Amino acid sequence: MRARRLFVVLTCSVLVAAVFAATSLGRSDKNGSTTAASGTVVLSGWGASPDELKLLKQVLRGFSKTYPNIHVDYQPITGDYVPAMLAKFAARKPADVFYVDSNVFLDWVTQGLLEPLDSYAQQSKFSSKPFYPSLLNGFKYKGKIYGYPKDWSPLAMEVNTDLAAKAGVKPASITNWATLTAAARKLRGVMPSGSKPICLSPSWDRALAFVYQNGGTFLNATKTKSTVNSPAAAAALNYYVGLIKQGLADIPAKLSVGWCGEALGKQKAAIIFEGNWLFPFMTSTFPSVHFSTQRMIMQKQHGNLAFTVSYSMAKDAQNKPAAWQLIRYLVGRPGMATWTSKGLALPSRSDVKPVAGRASFLADAPAARPWQFAPRFSQVIDTANNELSAVIEGKESVAQMLQKVESTANDTLSK
Amino acid sequence: MSATAAAREDRPGRGFGSERVREALVGYLFIAAPMVLYGILFFYPIGYALYISRYDWGVLGKIDTVGFGNYRELLHDHRFGIAVKNGLKFTLAFTICSMALGLFVAVVVNNAIRFRGFFRSAYYFPSIASSAAITAVALFILSADGLFNQITGFDRAWFGESGTALWALVGLNSWTTSGMVMLFYLAYLQSIPTDVYEAAAIDGAGAWRTFWKITFPLLRPGHFFVSTLLVIGGLKMFDQAFIASGGSGGPNNSTLVPVLYLYRVAFYDVRFGYAASVGIALMLIIFGLTLLQRLTFGRTDAN
Repeated sequence: MRARRLFVVLTCSVLVAAVFAATSLGRSDKNGSTTAASGTVVLSGWGASPDELKLLKQVLRGFSKTYPNIHVDYQPITGDYVPAMLAKFAARKPADVFYVDSNVFLDWVTQGLLEPLDSYAQQSKFSSKPFYPSLLNGFKYKGKIYGYPKDWSPLAMEVNTDLAAKAGVKPASITNWATLTAAARKLRGVMPSGSKPICLSPSWDRALAFVYQNGGTFLNATKTKSTVNSPAAAAALNYYVGLIKQGLADIPAKLSVGWCGEALGKQKAAIIFEGNWLFPFMTSTFPSVHFSTQRMIMQKQHGNLAFTVSYSMAKDAQNKPAAWQLIRYLVGRPGMATWTSKGLALPSRSDVKPVAGRASFLADAPAARPWQFAPRFSQVIDTANNELSAVIEGKESVAQMLQKVESTANDTLSK
Repeated sequence: MSATAAAREDRPGRGFGSERVREALVGYLFIAAPMVLYGILFFYPIGYALYISRYDWGVLGKIDTVGFGNYRELLHDHRFGIAVKNGLKFTLAFTICSMALGLFVAVVVNNAIRFRGFFRSAYYFPSIASSAAITAVALFILSADGLFNQITGFDRAWFGESGTALWALVGLNSWTTSGMVMLFYLAYLQSIPTDVYEAAAIDGAGAWRTFWKITFPLLRPGHFFVSTLLVIGGLKMFDQAFIASGGSGGPNNSTLVPVLYLYRVAFYDVRFGYAASVGIALMLIIFGLTLLQRLTFGRTDAN
């Protein structure tokens, strides 16, 4: 009798254990996640071009096949992205997953708007090692990861090959400031009226690359003090503005274009410094313009800027397990491979190869520093850009500009 | 007088009083709904802005209490100073240009000319068109190789140079607003009694003299009304400056106007408390200027 009771108890225990194990297995998906994710997840970003949208939808279709229980509601934001997102955060109704530009990341994370992703990554054994460290660092705050870079681009130098050939300039020979000036001088003779050899943007998101090339910096390593008022930065900016003063370059407004990419397309300039975003623009708008792309020029060292955007999760996300699965898929190897397959964006993972012809961009990956400074720094960049315009217009000297920019930056850092 | 007679005499008085009260109540009832809306949409936001202007206020709410710290910072804020200066410069030029253009057009289309209706509609059209669309078109027309330069022979990027960008905005806004100004002046012109003009004609006054001695002074209430609207509108200008400068207020802060500065402080620096103090300061400036106008133009109007 006792043996029979023991048998029944044992059988029941085994059955309970089996049911528990089966349930646990059911909850753990094939990618190693321990929580079952289902329901709807809202994905937001700024408006994409038709080509980008096509690729994103392709990636999302792949996600739906892998996670049939999760429905992705893609809600792009048209217009000014940052204010629209802040309004949603303030209403406590943000999208679950969204784009965060490295430029605004520190503002958003210090306001407590983003969810740290380390525990999700740990739980699902998601490795952050394949990501380029300088890009991933752009989305780390106090040692925690708040987003994974979805793609990136440094600046490169693009040269109109037809105009260069006409002027007898070999684009590959332009490697530093001296050779750039020499090439611009040669190009000046073949440029049509109303155009200039080089197009330079009157903003620090281009000029700072020249500062880095000359060994200058904007902030110290701990980001507690501005170091921009230095001889290295002054020399770089004098060179940058000097190209305009010598008539070898001009700003987009003076060339009657919105940005330097348009100047290359309309042949208003033969040399520009833009990122990977130039390719889809040129293919769709100016397919007949021939140009070469090469690594950004250098001076004392290689120096470049990295523009990157992450997929992040909102602290107030409604469906966090599903949001994590979506982020993991989008920045994972298959998702990123699809997203970058047409060359519209460069992969931020070293284990995903970019399309052919992008070697010049990848070469700068170690030298490129994220376009990111400190919280509430937009005011400083506004001041810096306005001062640069004043210098270009001859209303101020480079030394005066650097003094003002450094003082504004230090004021902001001390608050 | 007997007590009954006194009481009888009192009754109509009481009746009149209660009727007045009833009438007043009906009146208040009519204005109650809009006043409630006004309270929700105007007084509450102003009160709330005053409240948050005393804090370091982030996206999710209060971060720190700063008291009047935001206002103190405002007094020493270089870029706010530039924004106010630009705002005042723009408002002064825009008000004068719009009034002059609007009045001129109103006087012209007030005459019995052929196709008067067509001209009135044509001049009013820019006022109803989207300011964003008009600004976008103006950016093309006023670009370095745009239509304006090709016709006039200039060689400038009007929105791309700090010396001309604000004046380009003045020109653009004066043109788009002149239709509305024309409409107001037309209404005031038609309210001037014709016998004054007849008397002037009998006295042998010419058109120029009639305009300056009769039309212009008699339009004084119109000047007050139109200039008040334009000063308030000028100081609150945002969309054209935002589009023309790509949201930056550049080049070299030349199109940085107070509301654009407020927008940047709120949404790019994420400092809602400080942005609220900018808003309150702007409200005080507008209130002060309106009061000043009332004391100058408006006095005769009140009399």
